[in-house]
Amino acid sequence: MIRFKARRSALRAGLVLATAGLLSVAAVAEAAAADKILLIINGALGDKSFFDSANHGIELIKAKYADKVETRVLEIGDDATKWEPALLDASEQDWNLIILGTYSISETLAEVARQYPDKKYILFDASVPYADGGYDNVYSISYKQNEGSYLGGVYNAELLKSGKLEGDIGTSLGFLGGMDIPVINDFLVGYIAGAKFVSPDIKIAVSYVGSFSDAAKGKELGLAQYRAGVGIGFTAASQAGLGQLSAAKETGKYVLGVDSDQEAIFAESDPAIASQVVSSVLKNVDVSLLQAYDKYVAGELKFGSEESLGLAEGAVGLVESGNYQQLATPELLAAIKTAKEKIASGEIKVPSAFGMSSDDLNALRNSVKP
Amino acid sequence: MTGLAIITDPATFATVLRVMTPLLIAALGILISDRAGVFNLGMEGMMLTGALAGVLVSAWTGSAWLGLSAAIVAGGLIGALMAFAVNGLGANLIIAGIAVNLAASSGTTLGLFFATGDKGMSGALRSGVMPSLDLPFVRDIPGIGPLVSGHNVLTYGALLAVPLISLMMARTAFGLRIRAVGVDPKAAATVGISVKLIQLQALVLSGMLGGMAGAYLSMGYVSWFAQDMTAGRGFIAIAIEVMGMGTAWGTLAATIVIAIAETLAITMQTFGLPNELMQMIPYVVPIVILTIWTARGRARPAGR
Repeated sequence: MIRFKARRSALRAGLVLATAGLLSVAAVAEAAAADKILLIINGALGDKSFFDSANHGIELIKAKYADKVETRVLEIGDDATKWEPALLDASEQDWNLIILGTYSISETLAEVARQYPDKKYILFDASVPYADGGYDNVYSISYKQNEGSYLGGVYNAELLKSGKLEGDIGTSLGFLGGMDIPVINDFLVGYIAGAKFVSPDIKIAVSYVGSFSDAAKGKELGLAQYRAGVGIGFTAASQAGLGQLSAAKETGKYVLGVDSDQEAIFAESDPAIASQVVSSVLKNVDVSLLQAYDKYVAGELKFGSEESLGLAEGAVGLVESGNYQQLATPELLAAIKTAKEKIASGEIKVPSAFGMSSDDLNALRNSVKP
Repeated sequence: MTGLAIITDPATFATVLRVMTPLLIAALGILISDRAGVFNLGMEGMMLTGALAGVLVSAWTGSAWLGLSAAIVAGGLIGALMAFAVNGLGANLIIAGIAVNLAASSGTTLGLFFATGDKGMSGALRSGVMPSLDLPFVRDIPGIGPLVSGHNVLTYGALLAVPLISLMMARTAFGLRIRAVGVDPKAAATVGISVKLIQLQALVLSGMLGGMAGAYLSMGYVSWFAQDMTAGRGFIAIAIEVMGMGTAWGTLAATIVIAIAETLAITMQTFGLPNELMQMIPYVVPIVILTIWTARGRARPAGR
């Protein structure tokens, strides 16, 4: 009886051992096969711009590397008090690479990344204070939105000059920002430089909504700009800026979109809005994330540093399909091409709002005041 | 354009009316609830819900009017829910209002996601827009014709609601009961008025107006719903109602003052005045006015 029991327990132990062995073999195989990538969205998908673009970047990675990657997207909402626990949780799990973005979450990441020196993080559209040391596991991507909107400025000013737009559309350009903050003013500064490159004495009406969600107020400000003689506006105000698209439809004036192809949002549902969107200035988060992962796989990603990506890397640009195709004259295409080449070669240095004093910024705004 | 030209421009007048419409409808809604003693702090959430319901139903049915009806019903339902929470379950009125606002902010995003698969905005939906009214005969009157005619049907609705609500409160039995319940619920109960029923009706009415105000944003101002598109208008409406001293005409006057301030802020910015200062105006004006009125109220002897 006793012997029998002993044999049975030996058998059981053997089984357990065998199972454990199998499991660990499987785990090793999986680890070798799949890189586990987590994208954290500190907001929600469906913004038709920034976060959706990041999500698309993950899809690009998945399409390119197929079985070699395991990806997940985690939406943690826009309540900033919940970001730190969510980030700590994610860091405790076995992700090889954690990707996240926006200036708002960069401080939270700066704290968490120090506690998990073995984890790797990619932060887009913001940076951590590398000068303080201890961020050898964080790679930051910032975007030269000023280069993208420089092209936007060239495009709008050329378009206004070309006489290609129908009707009495006015004599000046517009800019509608979400808030008077550096990242938005970086769009403005590049835009002004681009427009001045084409027409040195161009006038640009500048206003700010004071919100990124108030589409009704965005529309009112858009209408006010159009009334004051603006022919083509440029909106850098997320959802609030879309209000200006509605204003453009009502007045027959034009608008340059931002962040994603805003003509495409309304192409099906409201063609009368889509037809007033001359193009959109893009921040290609998707392209930059795929590039970063390519480098990561090759072991070339420079963790512990910040990289600033612009036109040369394809991280910013203009939508060159849809209305752009119909509106762009040969001279305009030539002007855009020249601007692109000169920026890429460094011949044109696009000014930036980062590090610009508020006095200089005011002087710049006043210099184009209609 | 000079300063004077801006003031006399019919477009500026139209701006004031557009800015006014959602604020006036919402403030009148708050007024009814306030007079019944159940101050509706959930107005922002009701507006947001109405804005979404209007867009979704008008996209499904193809009718802007059905969309508006849905917005009104949705707001009314939330009003009923709030009344049930407060009077049926004994929840704190202020907490219930805050709960409505928080729940609506996330709930509308969830609703939008279930309905369209998007969470940010409903741009892909073909939703309806409330029509503008060209008033026959009136539009031909030189001078004031172009000013008065051609606005959104909800703008006329909002302006019409002012005398209607004023009459209802002052001259009808229902209005009297609302005021009685608001002044002293115990006294009202002793003469046989059902306090809970009156407060339920007041909150439902308040919610219906809130839904309508929201529909104006998503089906009048713009033609889509976007996350948190009410952007604090429900709270500005609260300030307006307080400034209006609980009367419909006072509320109208306060709305006009706020709308003019907001319009100035919008128009002046385009002419290069500092945007920080301009954005402050709509918030400074109620503070200044309330301070003056409170000071005057103190100077007067007790009782009004």
